[in-house]
Amino acid sequence: MTVAAGIGYALVALGPSLSLFVSVISRKPFLILTVLSSTLLWLVSLIILSGLWRPFLPLKANVWWPYALLVVTSVCFQEGLRFLFWKVYKRLEDVLDSFADRISRPRLFLTDKLQIALAGGLGHGVAHAVFFCLSLLTPAFGPATFYVERCSKVPFFLISAIIGLAFVTIHTFSMVIAFEGYAKGNRVDQVIVPVIHLAAGMLTLVNFASEGCVIGVPLLYLVASLTLVHCGKMVWQRLLETRNQSSASG
Amino acid sequence: MDRNQRPRSLLDSLGEELIAILTPVSICMFTVVLLVCILNSDPSSSSASFSSIATAAYAESDSDSSWDKFVGAFLNSLVFVAAITVATFVLVLLFYLRCVKFLKFYMGFSAFIVLGNLGGEILVLLIDRFRFPIDCITFLILLVNFSVVGVFAVFMSKFSILITQGYLVWIGVLVAYFFTLLPEWTTWVLLVALALYDIAAVLLPVGPLRLLVEMAISRDEDIPALVYEARPVIRNDSRLVQRRVWRERRASQNDNNDIENTANRNEVGRVVRSIDVEEEHVGSSERAEISVPLIDRRPDQAENSETFLEGIGLGSSGAIKLGLGDFIFYSVLVGRAAMYDLMTVYACYLAIIAGLGITLMLLSVYQKALPALPVSIMLGVVFYFLARLLLEVFVAQCSSNLVMF
Repeated sequence: MTVAAGIGYALVALGPSLSLFVSVISRKPFLILTVLSSTLLWLVSLIILSGLWRPFLPLKANVWWPYALLVVTSVCFQEGLRFLFWKVYKRLEDVLDSFADRISRPRLFLTDKLQIALAGGLGHGVAHAVFFCLSLLTPAFGPATFYVERCSKVPFFLISAIIGLAFVTIHTFSMVIAFEGYAKGNRVDQVIVPVIHLAAGMLTLVNFASEGCVIGVPLLYLVASLTLVHCGKMVWQRLLETRNQSSASG
Repeated sequence: MDRNQRPRSLLDSLGEELIAILTPVSICMFTVVLLVCILNSDPSSSSASFSSIATAAYAESDSDSSWDKFVGAFLNSLVFVAAITVATFVLVLLFYLRCVKFLKFYMGFSAFIVLGNLGGEILVLLIDRFRFPIDCITFLILLVNFSVVGVFAVFMSKFSILITQGYLVWIGVLVAYFFTLLPEWTTWVLLVALALYDIAAVLLPVGPLRLLVEMAISRDEDIPALVYEARPVIRNDSRLVQRRVWRERRASQNDNNDIENTANRNEVGRVVRSIDVEEEHVGSSERAEISVPLIDRRPDQAENSETFLEGIGLGSSGAIKLGLGDFIFYSVLVGRAAMYDLMTVYACYLAIIAGLGITLMLLSVYQKALPALPVSIMLGVVFYFLARLLLEVFVAQCSSNLVMF
């Protein structure tokens, strides 16, 4: 609608990640590099998916099951890539630990590992917000606005920014859960992350119903807050464990 | 409860130099995209075309067929690359004949022309766009002052480092914006041609840039060029302080006081971290630093310079230098992507950063001057076309139905 509205929509989607970036990530250069590389990974996965689906696009407007298939394949592919990302991170952690030993510095703390996982998740979240929300925001800087028939109460830009914010939260914190799950071999954590991602993707299909976004978006936020709570509980437990360990041994 | 200060973790300082070179590159690209978006949003004002040596062979017009455009663009880039080759060989000849003063003067002169002329044009366009009330005389005075300060910043070595870096980035932005005004096909073919030229010029034994680097190393002088140097930072009471002393000590120890700055702004840049040159300078600065008590030395890290992490550019000795030509052509690529859509901008930005990271990794593996353009430009061009052809349809299709994952 104007420059102010355009910046407002961008900040709705990316505001919390910007404050996370400034307060946590920008202090450590390595975390900035992690954010950039995980953003790149997400972009590459999106390009591969769009390459795979290109022959079948454009899909018919009112049929919802091709979109379901699209979401399922994309989520599976991205979860597979998340596992690969974890493998690469494991290797890097070993290299960093041996480097730390060589220059007689302490090895990576638990908080360091959690911060790296957070940075990786933030990279994925920011990439999602940028490619699904920000890149379509250019017309919002102009004089008019745009409504989609399926969700006619709210401008398109605003609703996509709100959905984008939910997904940023989900991506950021599910990466922390996933890394901890893989590191500890905890089955529950390992399985819950793909389930959350798939559930969130499927919930956006509810938007296909007329005025479906009234139901779909609050449910999506429910999933996002579940992720947040689960991640918080898990991190708290781990920190307490480590503190008990170090005070028992020290 | 932590009774004592938590020990500094490894993660606090790893990768500083990489970020120190990524930040100005990102700022330059962001500024060019901003300028392109502001100044090109009004289609009636797009008559500002840039006729230069790069359009000498063929002036693209919309009505030509694709093949004609491609052939024309190819001829344009041949002419441009030939012109750059000749200019670089002249530069090598002058450096060989030790006409350093002339090169410095020429570089200051070209910086003045860029800042005054191109900067003035951009500012006039911006004033026109925003209807900013200002009169000619004030504008002229401000512009001349700005340009002269810029020439001194680039020319002399005793300037505040932040101002010098700012002016170098601004010069890069100005030249890059004007290159984005070239016709579309010419721009893309030119970028690819320059990437290939850069490989040839730096890696072939007869390449002009390689000759230049070898001469500079053998004479222990700085290469006369517009180079952006990411200064090493040291911690002083847990705050980051940029190490000025390094440069001043080196200045006093050298007989010839040309530290950086001179030459052809059309020179295509390359990443120089030639360890011979840097180790000598680091060595001399360490001798000098012993007598300076305020500077916090990190001797343990300075000596472990062959670890793998040093290898992937995350070490802590020496400074990474990136030629201004690299800044310019990265920004041209991103600016041209901005003329299509913002999605391609993000894709190209990530590709260029990835390319720069890969180049720095290769730099520490091979330990000699490497061309910084090819990997980034190739990745950028590939990602641009992938984003334009594949990604956009996919994402627009999903988003407009509010289906996201």
